[in-house]
Amino acid sequence: MKARIKILLIEDDKSISRFIATALEGNGYKIMAALTGKEGISLAASFCPDVILLDLGLPDVDGLQVLKQIRTWSNVPVIVLSARTKEQEKVEALDMGADDYITKPFGTEELMARIRTCMRHRHSGTPDRIYKALNLEINFEKRLVKLEGKEIHLTQIEYQLLTLLAENSGRVLTYSFIMNAIWGPYMDSNNQILRVNMANIRRKIEKNPAQPQYVFTEIGIGYRMLDNEHV
Amino acid sequence: MNPFFKKLTRREQHIFSIFFSIFCMGVAIAVSFIYHNLVPDNLTNIVLIFILALVVVSRYTVGYWYGIFCCLFAVVCVNYLFAYPYFALNFTLPDYPVTFLGMAAITLLTSTLTSHLAKQAEMLAEHEKKLNEAEKEKMRANLLRAISHDLRTPLTGIIGNSSVFLENQVRLSEEEKTEIVSNINNDANWLLNMVENLLTVTRITGDNLTVKSNEEPLEEVVAESLQRLSKRYPDVVIDAQIPDEFILVPMDAILIEQVTINLLENAIIHSESVAPIKLLVENHSDHVSFTIRDYGVGLPREMLNNLFDSTVYTTSGTSDAHRGMGIGLSICQTIITAHHGTLTGRNHKHGAEFIFTLPKTIKEDGLEK
Repeated sequence: MKARIKILLIEDDKSISRFIATALEGNGYKIMAALTGKEGISLAASFCPDVILLDLGLPDVDGLQVLKQIRTWSNVPVIVLSARTKEQEKVEALDMGADDYITKPFGTEELMARIRTCMRHRHSGTPDRIYKALNLEINFEKRLVKLEGKEIHLTQIEYQLLTLLAENSGRVLTYSFIMNAIWGPYMDSNNQILRVNMANIRRKIEKNPAQPQYVFTEIGIGYRMLDNEHV
Repeated sequence: MNPFFKKLTRREQHIFSIFFSIFCMGVAIAVSFIYHNLVPDNLTNIVLIFILALVVVSRYTVGYWYGIFCCLFAVVCVNYLFAYPYFALNFTLPDYPVTFLGMAAITLLTSTLTSHLAKQAEMLAEHEKKLNEAEKEKMRANLLRAISHDLRTPLTGIIGNSSVFLENQVRLSEEEKTEIVSNINNDANWLLNMVENLLTVTRITGDNLTVKSNEEPLEEVVAESLQRLSKRYPDVVIDAQIPDEFILVPMDAILIEQVTINLLENAIIHSESVAPIKLLVENHSDHVSFTIRDYGVGLPREMLNNLFDSTVYTTSGTSDAHRGMGIGLSICQTIITAHHGTLTGRNHKHGAEFIFTLPKTIKEDGLEK
C-alpha cells in the first residue's frame, strides 16, 4: 500500500484547524496540526510533511517568518491560508517561496484541488510535454498551441507567457515572478506590458474575455492557468 | 475675523497688526498733511480722518491694544501737527479732552465689537462642526443599526437550526439533518458575504473618502468578479459583454469587484426570475459604464426614491424575507462615489437595471495614486 501523504497544518484557530483536519483525514491524508508558529517550525523539521498548510496570522511568530525559516532548509510545498483583502500579504508570501495560497474561507474541494496540484508539481521530475485542458492544447516540444484543433498564432512573448503559465498550471504566478521570468530582472516594476500581453492572449484563446476559461486573473496578485488534464 | 487672519499663527497675527497699525497711521498723517495744506485750520475734518484710520486699525488688528496705542498716537499727532500751535504740544486747548475722549471711546468700542465678532464667528464654526459630527454620528448609528439587524437574521437561523439539530439528533431523519445543516451553511455564507462587504468599506479612508487606485484592465476586473460570483452561484448564467479594446481604468479593483458582485447578486436574488442577467460594459469618451440588467419583477415603486439609503429597508416588513439589499446598495454607492462615479437604479420594461460609471482619468483632487 502506498504511504499516506503527510500534511502539516499550522493554524492557531482550533475550530478551523479541526475542520481542516477532519476534511483531510476523510480524504486519506495523514495530518499533524500545530497551533503556533514555533511548534509548526519544529514539527516541519521532525514530522517531514509532504505539504504544509500555513496560516499567516499566528499568535507568536509572523506567518511570513515561519515560511522564511522553513525555506532555509526545506523545499516542501507550502500553501498559505489568507484573508481575501490582504493582497500584499499573499504576494509577499508567494514571492518568499510559498507555492500557492488559498483564500479564507474555502471549501474542502478547493483545498483538496490545491493540495493535489502542489503535490503533482513537486513530484513530476520531468516537466510536462503537453498541456491539455478543455479545448486548448499546448505541445511544448513542437511549440504548438491548438484551440479546438486549430493552430493559434502567438507572438514570441505571448508564447513564452502562455507556456510559463501552462507549465505551472493550477498555481498562481505573481506579476513579479512572471515579469522576471519573461523580461528579466532589469525590467522596471510597472507590469502594464504584462497585462497588455495577457489581454492579447486572452483575445486569441478565450471565447469571451470577460468570462475566461483558461487563464484566470487574481487582481493585485497575478495569474493562474486552468489545471493540466494531461497527467 | 477674516479667513486670511485665521491661517496665521498668533505671532504672525501680531506682526501683521503692528505693521498694519503703522501703515494706517502713516496714511492718516499723509492724507491729513495734504488736506491741511489745501484747507488750513480745519481741525474737525483732520480728526475725522484719524478717527477713520483708528476704526480701520481696530477692525483689522488682534485685541484692543493696537487700537488704544494708535489712539494715543493719533491724539498726540493731531495735537502736535495739526492743532495750533503747529509742531508743538499744547494740552491746554479747551476742546482737547473732548476730542481725546471721543477718539478713545470710538477706538475701544470698535475694538470690542471686532473682538466680539471674531469670537462669535469662532463659536458659530464650532457649533457647525459639532452639528456636522452629530450628523456623521447619526449616519454611523443608522448604519450600525441596519447592519445589526441584517446580521441578526441569519444568526438567528444558525442558532435555531443548530440547536434543533443538537436537541433532536436521534429523532431526525437523514434528510432533515441535511436540510438543517445546509440551512446553516447558507446562512453562514450570507453572513460572510455581509462581513466582507463591510470590510471592503474600510478600504475607503479619510474625511473626503478617497480610495487607493491603480490602473486596472477592465476585462480582468469583470472576469474576476464573474469568477467569484460563479463560485457562490454555480448555476447562474450571466451574459457578459465587454468592449473589444484594452482599456485601463483607475480604480481599487477589489472595491469595484465588490460593487459588481453585489449588484449581480441582488439581481439573482431579488429578480425572482431565472432569465440570464446581463452585464454590459461600455466604453465612453471620458468614462466607462457598467450596466447590470435583470429580466424579473423590477424594483418596487416605493423603493425607487431611496434606493441607496441603508435605513429604509430594515424598517419595512419585507426585510426579513428579502434580507435587505439596502446595506449592499448603500455600500456600493459609497464605493462608487469615492471613485467619483455615479450609481443609478431604475426599472426598464422587463425588470430592473443598475448602472454605474467610472471616470477614465484621475481627477486632481480625487483619487490618489
